[in-house]
Amino acid sequence: MVSIRIRGLTKRFGETVALKGLDLDIAAGELFFLLGPSGCGKTTLLRAIAGFHLPEEGTIQFDDEDVTQVPPHKRETAMMFQSYALWPHLNVFRNVAFGLEERKVPKNEIKTRVAEALDMVKMGDYAQRKINQLSGGQQQRVALARALVVRPRCLMLDEPLSNLDAKLRIEMRTEIRRICKEFGLTAIYVTHDQKEALSIADRMAILDDGHIVQIGPPEEVYRHPHTPTVASFIGETNFIPGKISEIGKEGVCTIDSAAGTFTGTPGNPDWRPEVGEKVILSIRPECFSISSEKPMQNAVAGQLAESVYLGEIAHYALRTDSDPKTIHIAELNPRRVVRDEGQTLHATADPHDIVVLPAT
Amino acid sequence: MIFAATAAFFGAFFLFPIWNTVREAFVDGDGNFTLGFVGAIFRNPIYLEGLVNAFKMGLFSTLASLLIALPLALVANRYRFPGKDVLTSLLLVPMILPPFVGALGVRQFLGQMGVLNTLLIDLGLMNPDKPFDWMGDGQLFGVVLMNALHLYPIAYLNISAALANLDPAMEEAAENLGCHGLRRLWRVTFPLIMPGVFAGSTIIFIWSFTELGVPLIFDYSRVTSVQIFDGIKELSGNPLPYALVVVMLVTTVLLYIVSKALFGRESYAGSGRASTGRTLETAKPLAGLCYTVMFVATIGVAILPHVGVILLSMAGDWYGTLLPSEFTAQHYIDALGHPLTVHSIANSLKYASFSTLFDIVLGIAIAWVVVRTKLPGRNLLDALAMLPLAVPGLVLAFGYFALAQEGQPFHPLILGEDPVVILVIAYAVRRLPYVVRSAAAGYQQTNVSLEEAAQNLGSTPFRALKRVTLPLIAANLIAGGLLAFSFAMLEVSDSLILAEQAQHFPITKAIYALVSSLGNGHYLASALGVWAMAFLAVTIVGAGLILGQKLGALFRV
Repeated sequence: MVSIRIRGLTKRFGETVALKGLDLDIAAGELFFLLGPSGCGKTTLLRAIAGFHLPEEGTIQFDDEDVTQVPPHKRETAMMFQSYALWPHLNVFRNVAFGLEERKVPKNEIKTRVAEALDMVKMGDYAQRKINQLSGGQQQRVALARALVVRPRCLMLDEPLSNLDAKLRIEMRTEIRRICKEFGLTAIYVTHDQKEALSIADRMAILDDGHIVQIGPPEEVYRHPHTPTVASFIGETNFIPGKISEIGKEGVCTIDSAAGTFTGTPGNPDWRPEVGEKVILSIRPECFSISSEKPMQNAVAGQLAESVYLGEIAHYALRTDSDPKTIHIAELNPRRVVRDEGQTLHATADPHDIVVLPAT
Repeated sequence: MIFAATAAFFGAFFLFPIWNTVREAFVDGDGNFTLGFVGAIFRNPIYLEGLVNAFKMGLFSTLASLLIALPLALVANRYRFPGKDVLTSLLLVPMILPPFVGALGVRQFLGQMGVLNTLLIDLGLMNPDKPFDWMGDGQLFGVVLMNALHLYPIAYLNISAALANLDPAMEEAAENLGCHGLRRLWRVTFPLIMPGVFAGSTIIFIWSFTELGVPLIFDYSRVTSVQIFDGIKELSGNPLPYALVVVMLVTTVLLYIVSKALFGRESYAGSGRASTGRTLETAKPLAGLCYTVMFVATIGVAILPHVGVILLSMAGDWYGTLLPSEFTAQHYIDALGHPLTVHSIANSLKYASFSTLFDIVLGIAIAWVVVRTKLPGRNLLDALAMLPLAVPGLVLAFGYFALAQEGQPFHPLILGEDPVVILVIAYAVRRLPYVVRSAAAGYQQTNVSLEEAAQNLGSTPFRALKRVTLPLIAANLIAGGLLAFSFAMLEVSDSLILAEQAQHFPITKAIYALVSSLGNGHYLASALGVWAMAFLAVTIVGAGLILGQKLGALFRV
């Protein structure tokens, strides 16, 4: 189990710069997620750590060892590929044994370790199967076993669940976390599925255009995004543009907007906005509550444009006078559903749930 | 209707000749079934030796082709290097140069008084009194060399296709687990591309196993194909040539079935969707130079025989010297004045054009049935249309020949002495797969709703096909037609066997006749060969320009 230290990593493909002087530290034994919209450089970063891309600038360290120029087959990482990349000419056992054979592990030990690995992913009964006789979920387990059996210094997962159906995805992601924690593995997980990241990550990094825009544990990234990009990429949110009219103690700001006056706190605690600065407020749908009377503060008034009842939750869309975009509201455990379209409603949010972001 | 017509055509001109040959081989004079004739083949040491040699010829030619092609394909799949684009297309050139003609050149290089020996003697490396015989006993070496230099582009195309289909993550996964370089090649890459490679090798084997032209030019007579050719001269009442053909047919068909059964189902390459595109590495300067040299050298050696032919066609005298001692255009003039050559060029053009036209019409129809209809049996038709690739040309030619004898069903097709009808049909059947493949590819790329839109606006289905679809797939048809045409121009087995009168000889038979004649026959044959190559080069370059990368897809069964 190694810690990973990346400094000033730059990778170019011809004219395009995929990674732009990126810094990142991952602690030993951490389950670390790389997220971002497609084309943000997350897969490039993963492949650079595995050694499939040599960076033009910067360094990658595993603990104190500089591995920047080490070829992939000597890095002792283990990668789980999006397509699984299981070799169809070898059966399950031989696929899993491959890495151990390359490491010249004695035959007997290979047998026991492969059996252990297959048991761990609950594939012990399938050792003699051919790859194309397995379902997607089974292939995924075998790919995981193949990566784990070599006891890698770092486990790499490249969108490992993207080819599975929704139910299996939920099952497998808890499996993956269980196994990583059991072995105390350092693992880097690339995904574009925010639910996957929020549910099992220790920490996550949001990438955009070759940079890391924010790093932190799931709840911090979700509740205190630093930029509008992060706020809208992780979860759903409503943006309300406004201007700061007053800054109180502990950075609490009062914001004037076309919809009314709001109180909120900056998502990035290091950011000190000034009075008069243009900002964007981010309020998540579930932070709103609705009422028919006008509340004291932090409220938006609008006409009900749409209401969708889903049982445990109800979604509303409010049309306001100030913004062509509707405000989305999610009400948990709705006792009574408002269905009268055109009715005027007030949506209000707690100041702790209102995030102030820099306008870009 | 189309289905019935094409099926009937295939029945009459593909299955029937084969069936007839098979029947003759197993039925004795009284109409009883017998294994005696086939048995006689295996008891006759000369025929048995011929079979063994044919097998060697096929096997060694295939292995040699793969050996030449494999490193080239691996390098081209992985690296960028100077001149790559030009070199990879030039690499395919030898495929279209007729090996039959090239063999003339190889003799000039490797003969006892050939260029290589002369060079070695000049360098003092060989005793001039005892020149080494490179062609070896029975010239098998020369034949294999010629075949391999001719057929390696097919191996190259197949290996390249298999590599291109390989998910790069398969190799990266191995790399990631510590398996690198040659070990990775051996443990992961080779096993994964083998099915594709073997499928392609089947064609190389069948072609070289039944090759007639090259062994004929090399006077290598102890091989089944030549024995069949010789046997034709005494066909009446002799069942042994029939039996010989059947043995050859059964061998190839068995091989075809075995390779389909072994590798047909397990197509590894396409499993799972590729997660990353393969990125080409730019080779380091020195390595890049090596790769360039490797490609240039291969191409150079492969076209050497044909360079030899060109030199030979211009040589005043060339014996025991490095280069011809004097150059002359006399052979071209003589060739144009020689009745045999002038006729043969006109004949070949005639036969090839008619058969190509025929192929295009048939190809459009068959491909339409296969792609656009849901008729039961359309898959069978598809398989049938592809079969001529797997059935040796020699077998079919022999079948036609036997049926065109006096009193046989095809005899009326020989108009007087003129074999034009039977030759056009023979050419057409053999080249049909290329046209069907190209046309089918065209149909598949053209959305059927385009046709439906035309019908919706009032066109009859036939007019919709003519006004909308055919113009859209014209490029495919032209490319397939060009291939059919150029291969027909240099067809060997049908031409040698079916054209019997000098004034009806196509180019290949004229070359063969010239080579066997005395005097300046060699030089005239070379001059004619150069003409033929010029024709071919023009058509193939045309096909390559139109089809581009997809050219390779035409050479898989």
